[in-house]
Amino acid sequence: MNKYMAEEIIEAIERYGLSKRNRKRTLFSRIGVVGCGKEGSVIATTAALNGMEVVFLEPNKEGITNAFSRIEDKLDRKIQNWGLTENEKKAILGRITGTTSYDDFNGCDFVIEAIRYHDQTGERRVIQRKEVFKELERVLSTNAIIASNVSTVIVTDLASELVHTERCIGLHFLSNVPDSQIIEIVPGLNTSTETFDKVCQFAKLINHQYVSVMESAGLVSIRLFLIQLNEACQILMEGISNIEDIDRVLTVGFGYRQGVFRTADQMGIEKIVRLLENLWDEYGSIKYKPSPILLRLFRAKHFGVSSNKGFYTYDDFGNIIK
Amino acid sequence: MKILVLNCGSSSVKYKLLDMGTNEVLGAGGVEKIGMKGSFLKHIRRDGKKVLLKGEILEHQLAVEYILGILTSEKHGAIKSLEEINAVGHRVVHGGEKFNSSVLITDEVIHKIVECIDIAPLHNPPNLAGIYAINELLPAIPQVAVFDTAFHQTMPEYAYMYGIPYSLYKKYGIRRYGFHGTSHRYVSQRACDFLGLDYSKTKMITAHIGNGVSITAIENGKSVDTSMGFTPIEGLMMGTRSGDVDLGVVTFLMEKEMIGAGAVSTLFNKHSGVLGVSGISSDMRDIEHAIVEGNERAILAMDMYEYRIKKYIGSYAAALGGVDVIVFTGGVGENQTTTREYVCDGLGFMGVKIDNELNAKSHGVEVLLSTPESTVKVVVIPTDEEYMIASDTLEIVEKL
Repeated sequence: MNKYMAEEIIEAIERYGLSKRNRKRTLFSRIGVVGCGKEGSVIATTAALNGMEVVFLEPNKEGITNAFSRIEDKLDRKIQNWGLTENEKKAILGRITGTTSYDDFNGCDFVIEAIRYHDQTGERRVIQRKEVFKELERVLSTNAIIASNVSTVIVTDLASELVHTERCIGLHFLSNVPDSQIIEIVPGLNTSTETFDKVCQFAKLINHQYVSVMESAGLVSIRLFLIQLNEACQILMEGISNIEDIDRVLTVGFGYRQGVFRTADQMGIEKIVRLLENLWDEYGSIKYKPSPILLRLFRAKHFGVSSNKGFYTYDDFGNIIK
Repeated sequence: MKILVLNCGSSSVKYKLLDMGTNEVLGAGGVEKIGMKGSFLKHIRRDGKKVLLKGEILEHQLAVEYILGILTSEKHGAIKSLEEINAVGHRVVHGGEKFNSSVLITDEVIHKIVECIDIAPLHNPPNLAGIYAINELLPAIPQVAVFDTAFHQTMPEYAYMYGIPYSLYKKYGIRRYGFHGTSHRYVSQRACDFLGLDYSKTKMITAHIGNGVSITAIENGKSVDTSMGFTPIEGLMMGTRSGDVDLGVVTFLMEKEMIGAGAVSTLFNKHSGVLGVSGISSDMRDIEHAIVEGNERAILAMDMYEYRIKKYIGSYAAALGGVDVIVFTGGVGENQTTTREYVCDGLGFMGVKIDNELNAKSHGVEVLLSTPESTVKVVVIPTDEEYMIASDTLEIVEKL
């Protein structure tokens, strides 16, 4: 074997191409993700799983390390559930790189901003997000798409200070329900049809269905979910039923994959309270006022899976123990 | 006449350039990791020297372009210009019920291959990508499609139908198609040539044993049954595929493990078989090493693997009403002498007897293993699908 290895000639491939013409890169062969937290890591993992090369940005080395462990954790879970093999995991991780510099997004034709809401205040960080958009405009070519993972933030607002606003678009991954393969695509006021079409193609490439949603706080998914959660809390407060039974009605009776309390715990109560307050601000309707039960959990820092306690109690692996 | 054979997988392209006049391989190799990080092209020159070309290869079209580039390059190439290539033969995995032999690729043929994507979503799209690439790069050169399923289109209805509602066959084309057809056809024809038998009057069982395993019953030159079905998972236990499994197991596991169709497919196609049972590897050479070390699960995996081969050959002997020739081929079939010995010993009741000493020293060569008193001839024939594809291509192109 070694004998052959020694005889092997190694060269760069480029000079063996037939033509010198400029080759069109395949669309979305390399994408970027700004902020690889809970949602960013879902996006990065999903894209890499579907063969794309992914570069993600975190503010420091520690952030990168944490992001990789989140991604590995997701892949390991897939292996445990028989959905992936060890070799595939290695190949997927090989397609993902972390960086602290915006310059590494050079060559990406699609970058998604997914920075977290503020840990303590849950604030939407519109100013920081605008900064991200500006940084991206600086390093990306003019036809690259800049997207934001939005739920209550308005993409037209984020894009307002850019030169090329037509390439900005909002996306919403429903990252809180595992393997939910749908994206809400949210064109802003200035988003071009070309940008919209390309993002639809992106959704197809990562095996997701998509719905086009008008720019609005809460879109379809968040509004429907939060109202249902608020009502479920109301039922609970009135003593009409208990947590498990309400979830059971939804899963068994309505065919939900998981109940509303379970989903709330995965999403994080702190985020939910802020989302509701944002919607309350935006629409002024009392139906968006966070239920007292949610506020009680929030103040007790019972955020859900992340703090091992929310509506349910969890072990460190996110399994319900009570 | 020089013929280029292409075998396009989801992230790879294998190729071989053959001179059909001299039967010489002018160049061969493969591109791997297309569209991924670390893609490369490995080329074996006419003089046997290996060349590794590294660089970004984002799509099949580009892979084909580099293949043509290196084949015509002054430094490593075999031909001076692309005009020297007379035809291109493609391996196409699924021809459904639309193709029972190799065909010249026309727009209509492409259309039919596209229609088969539904039942071969993983394989037909990359095969088509190869065809499109040649269409663009060498538009004037005839292309031929050679289907994995075509050889098995002669199976009788009672062998290819599943015992499920007939309406599902009508609606989705659910039936057994079989795979490895090009290999089974090549080794069966070659075995008859090698043994001096009349192909049209011989009952044969061909065992293609590699990482994928399939066994075919061939009567008078026609496939009458084969172990793979609607997809390649049916039949024998393989490297990572389970082979035959009670469907009750599938639905039971879906409920117990709370998994959906995608995970079930990965479980039975990629986590199972020799790898799943042994917990070591899907490569039989690793299993053999582990057996030497006394690893019990490796021993079990090997026992299961070999037992099922014996069982299938036995059942196909019944299907054929007797057998004249058994052929071993594929990476394991050509090299793993212990498996051949185990299987043949077990078939002693029907008159199979091989020369164990000869068997033990025969690796990857054409050889007659059975003794003169054996009522069944047992041979090893190294498979050569590329040659078969090239020779089909030649035959079709010569008639143009």
